[in-house]
This record gives sequence, C-alpha cells and structure tokens, in this order.
Amino acid sequence: MSEIYPAPASERDTSDETEDIDLVTAVNHTLHQEMAQDDGVRIMGYDIGPIGGVYRATEDLLEEYGDERVIDTPLSENGIIGTAVGMAMAGERVVPEIQFMGFSYPAFGQIMYALVKIYDRTGGDVEVPLTVRMAYGGGVKALEYHQESTETYYLHTPGVRVVCPSTPYQAKGLLAASIRHDDPVMFMEPKKIYRGGEQSVPTDDYTLPLDEARLVRDGEDVTVLTWGAMVRHAVAASEAVDASVEVVDVRSLSPLDVDTILESVKKTGRCVVVHEARRSLGLGAELSALVNEYALDRLKAPVKRATGYDVHFPSHNIEDDYLPDEERAQHAIEAVMNYEF
Amino acid sequence: MVEWTEHEPPEGEYQRLDADGQLDGDSPAFDDNELLAMYRTMVATRTLEDKMLNMQRSGEASLVARSRGEEATPLGCAAALEPDDWIFYTYRQNPALLYWEYPMAEIVAGDMGAEPETVAEHLDTDEPEVNFSPDYTPVGVNTTNAVGMAMADKLNDRETVTMAFIGDGSTSEGSFHDAMNFAGVFEPPVVIICQNNQWAISEPSHRQTGAETFAKKGEAYGVPHERVDGNDIFAVREKAEEAVERARNGEGPTFIECVTYRMEEHNTSDNPNVYRDEEEQKEEWEEKDPLDRYEAYLREAGVLDDDLAEDVEDEIDEQVSEAVDAARDVPDSEPERMFDHQIHGEPWNHAHQRAELEREQNGQNPFTDFDGEGFDE
Repeated sequence: MSEIYPAPASERDTSDETEDIDLVTAVNHTLHQEMAQDDGVRIMGYDIGPIGGVYRATEDLLEEYGDERVIDTPLSENGIIGTAVGMAMAGERVVPEIQFMGFSYPAFGQIMYALVKIYDRTGGDVEVPLTVRMAYGGGVKALEYHQESTETYYLHTPGVRVVCPSTPYQAKGLLAASIRHDDPVMFMEPKKIYRGGEQSVPTDDYTLPLDEARLVRDGEDVTVLTWGAMVRHAVAASEAVDASVEVVDVRSLSPLDVDTILESVKKTGRCVVVHEARRSLGLGAELSALVNEYALDRLKAPVKRATGYDVHFPSHNIEDDYLPDEERAQHAIEAVMNYEF
Repeated sequence: MVEWTEHEPPEGEYQRLDADGQLDGDSPAFDDNELLAMYRTMVATRTLEDKMLNMQRSGEASLVARSRGEEATPLGCAAALEPDDWIFYTYRQNPALLYWEYPMAEIVAGDMGAEPETVAEHLDTDEPEVNFSPDYTPVGVNTTNAVGMAMADKLNDRETVTMAFIGDGSTSEGSFHDAMNFAGVFEPPVVIICQNNQWAISEPSHRQTGAETFAKKGEAYGVPHERVDGNDIFAVREKAEEAVERARNGEGPTFIECVTYRMEEHNTSDNPNVYRDEEEQKEEWEEKDPLDRYEAYLREAGVLDDDLAEDVEDEIDEQVSEAVDAARDVPDSEPERMFDHQIHGEPWNHAHQRAELEREQNGQNPFTDFDGEGFDE
C-alpha cells in the first residue's frame, strides 16, 4: 500500500489535467505557481537557492525567478522571520522557509513580538501575510532538533494560523490558500511523507479552505482525529480493527474546525486522537477538552490519545518506539471500543 | 558564479607554514612527541571519519560530518588548551576530541544511534583531560553557553579557559552576537573560534557577512580578533596559545577566524555538486591541505620518515578498528531509556507513559487505564 492514503473520490474526480506527484513536489509546484501569478510572492531562507532546499522543495525557483524573489539569506531564523515581517508590512507576500521546525526556536522572538501581534495591535490596519514553511516530524533517523513536532507552541499563540497537509493534493491546495491569505500561516510539511507516494493532482491551481477539517473515511463507531504524517497510520488502523472508524484529518490545526470535529464525535460517540507530538498539552489535549465540554453526554467512552511521549525526541535506536504507528492507533481504537461506562 | 566564496580572497591572514610545508620564522618549540601527537591526530581523524562514512553508507551509522581539509583548525586550537579547560564544540571538531583522547568508541556509538545512557553503560572509557561540552547540533547556541561558563570561572577566580567552535554560518545567528556582546562587556576567559570553511551547507560565506572578514565581527563588540590560515597548524596553534594565555591572565576574550575550506559535503545527506563547482576551488585548496603541508614539514625536519608514517598508520588502523568493534558491541537502547534524564524524579505522566510503552512492547494494549490508577489486565 502506498504510504499516503489515496484521496477520496471528491479529490480525484476532476476533469482538469492532472499530474502524479509526491508531497514535496506538490509544494514545489505550488511555489512555482504562486510566484508566477503574483510578483509580490517572494521566498526566503537558507539553502533555498542553487541547492533548491535540503529537501528540494524550492528546486528550480532561483533559476526561474532570480535572486530578488528567491532570497538566500544568512543563517539566522530570527533574521529571516523578522525581515520577512518587515517586507510583508511593505506589501510583499513572503514565504519564508524554516529548514526544520526544531530550528524555529531562534525565531520565536520575532514570531511572538511581531508576526502574530501586528495585525491586532494596529486594530487590523497592518496585515502580515506570511506563510512560514517548516518541515516537521520524525521517523527519518535525523539529528536532534531535526525531528520535532512542536506545533503546540504555535497552536497556543493567537494571531497565526497553523496548517498541516497530509497528501500531495492537500499540500497544493492548502499552500496556495495559505500564501494568498492575509493572515500569517505556519505551514507544517510532514517530511516523513515528502516522498511517501504519488497522487494525481490537478495541474491547474486550486485552493482548499484553511478552516475545515477533511473527512478521510466515513464511520459509525469511533472518530479518529489526526493530521500530517499520522493520517496514514490512522487509516491503516481503522482498516485493521473490527469497528466502523471515521477518520478526520484535522488539517487546519488552528483555528480548529470545531463543527466537523464535534459532529463526527457526536455521531460515533467515541474519540481517539493520533498525533506524533508529545502528549501533554499537545493538540490532543485540546481536542479531548473540546469533546468533554461540548459532547460529554454523547460519549460512550473517554477520549484516548495515541501520541508521542513527554520526552525529548530520542536517538535513532528507539525513535520508532517513540512515534505512534498503526499498532498504537489500533490499540487506542480498540480500548475505547471495548470500554463500558 | 562568484569567483570566491568570501568577499575577500583569503590572503593576508597569519601564516607560518606555506603550502609546501616551508616554515617562516623560528621553529615552533615543540618536541618530537608533540609534533607527532598532532600528526597522529590528523591521520586518526581522517581514518576514523572515512570509516564512519563507510558505516553510514552501509546503514550502520547515521549522518557523518567530516573535517577533511580542516583538521589543522580544531586541532591547533584545542592543542593550545590545558587539562581542565573546556571545549564547546559542534560537529566538525573530531581533531579536537581525538587530540585530547576523547574515546573514539563513544563517537562511533553515538553516531550509531544509541541513547547516551546506553553508551555510558556499555563502554568503559576514560574521561579526557580537557572537558568537552555535549556536542551542539543547532548552530551558534554553544557560543553563549561558553561565554557563560567563562563568566562563572572569572567570578570564581578559576584559571580555566573555555573555547567554543563555530562555523562561518553560525556568526549569522543571534546567539553569536549575544555571546560576543557579553564577552566584550564582561571580559571572561573565553576563546571563540570561527572555523570559516567557506560553506554553511549550500550557502557560501559571502552570504553570511558583508564584512571584509569574519574576524572583523569582533570589532563591534570590543573583542580582540585574529585572522589565521586555518590550514597551517603552527599559525593556528600559535594564535590560539596567545589567546588562551591572555584569557588565563585575566585579559579577556579573543575571537579567532581560521580560514579553511570544506573539501567534502556538509554531511552525508548533502550533495555539494548541486550548488558548487567542484573545480572552482578544490584544486587550490588541495594544495593547501593541512596534513600534506604538515607532513612535508615533519619529513624535512627529520621527525617523520616512511617507516614511522607506516607505523602511525598501522597503529591508528588498529585503534579505529578496536573503537568500531567496541561501538558495535553496544546494544541497541531499550525503548524505555527515552524517559531517562528528562527531569529528576518520575512524574505521573512519565511513570504512566513508561508503563504504556512497556505494555506496547509486550503486545498488550497500552490504553486500558480508564481511571488513572493503572491498567485493567
């Protein structure tokens, strides 16, 4: 089976011309598309030029758009985000790249002080339309701080959207929407599935909403809420258990599509969250709280979270023991299926 | 394509040994043992790193960052230290580690992916005389920590010196500027070495600064600075010794730019052919190779001959081979080791999650605790 779960019919049923591409290629093609359509779109970051990014997400962009639109910067995340904010305030539409989510911490000052705050403190007068692209996630036997899934820091922050695609189709539609949106967006790219399988994607441009979850799989007994690189595990687990499982790709992590989430949980009466981030105060905690606050009387079992553990991302020997997989997701589903009040 | 990676070609920096191994000025006051110790370190670094590269290619080791062509910089700087001093390093300073007899097997085992607790338990190794910080993956962060350690030494009237290694790219990070500013203000006994190898992954050094040289970055902070031929072991060591002595005498920090060149890839996940012209500078830098230059000097000085070179090579081959065997004997870490050393003690979430992990490893369902008090079997 392909590592990326095939898109539902609604995503494939298109009369447009399509191309079979993987997730990182979808990112690349979307950057090409958006830069071609809008001269104000510029990308910034280190290693994004001749090398085309360490994952080749920005390949060929320098050749096509030149060094005033593909800006290879000094090695300074705080510098990249800070100057990108200034450029955005001057009317540009900047797409900075942070090479790994674990490298975004030096930029935390600019993110907190400027990126997420300026729209609010100017009473809506000044917009900061930045899309910060960040490769995130584990499972690639990389070094420390190259495996992080610390979206919680940004989910806890007002004034910024957090978006995470799980397929090439999602990546293209969500990235285009993020770049065109006037809010700052943290755009998390699951590097484990960058090259995890191809999908037929329209060559024409399209956008996907930034405030809607995606129903991946319809079910009656239990809802699995997940996103990014974990979607494939949730789907595999749902096929392996003896229950009718609804899988919802949360996709827009902030703001959350509360309606879709609650509607699904109210229908099934059971909820499992699968995410690779640490558990405590991860998004699973918020989803669990949400379900408890607004759907308690519909629940047939407590919410369970199949997640990473509350530790630093471990060494390669044992990173697969840290990361949730199909089996962990399956166990969580079975546990809530077997629970009786 | 720019002709040179830096704004200024690397000329005019301090040099003692030319590309042919000819010495300018007085002979350095090292006995043969010390001269050979430095030679052995350079050879050991290449042998170990090449071995690790093979291990990476066969899937035994993770990323490997080699220091080929840059060995004189970390070696010459580290050799200027005394026992009990400290080194804050990143990922291209194996010569500094090996000079101070940091256990090779630990370097290899770490790269094979074992948790530090597992390595410590299964390798019976001695501590080196010079202290090493943990190696830092994020760049620039170590400089601020090194300055802080030196500040503590100064406040406690200790005579230890702290040395930090960074690359040219690290000088763009905020932490570097914070470190230099504190160093200039508090004048602690710290030596910050910029191992300018002209490349930060794919970014050439002129993309890191508009200044004429990296050394000049010391100017704005009131930190004395030097620019040295980083492939010249004698020049590097001499300037590092001066800086260490100044630090030990209470005269404050020094910033040294060692000009060198990254002959190979950033690390094994990098492909420099995409972004740099192999022919552009490689030949020129091959002529400046620190090991060739030094070996030429040693042979002319009568310290080294073919027989001795062969003995050194054999001895190092054996040492590397023993280290690799020892590292291979370190078992894979137990999964629950990930909970070790997060914080002191074991809070509820760790105890609970550890139990979950154990159940998962045993094929049991880890999600059957519904009252927070344990598991329903």
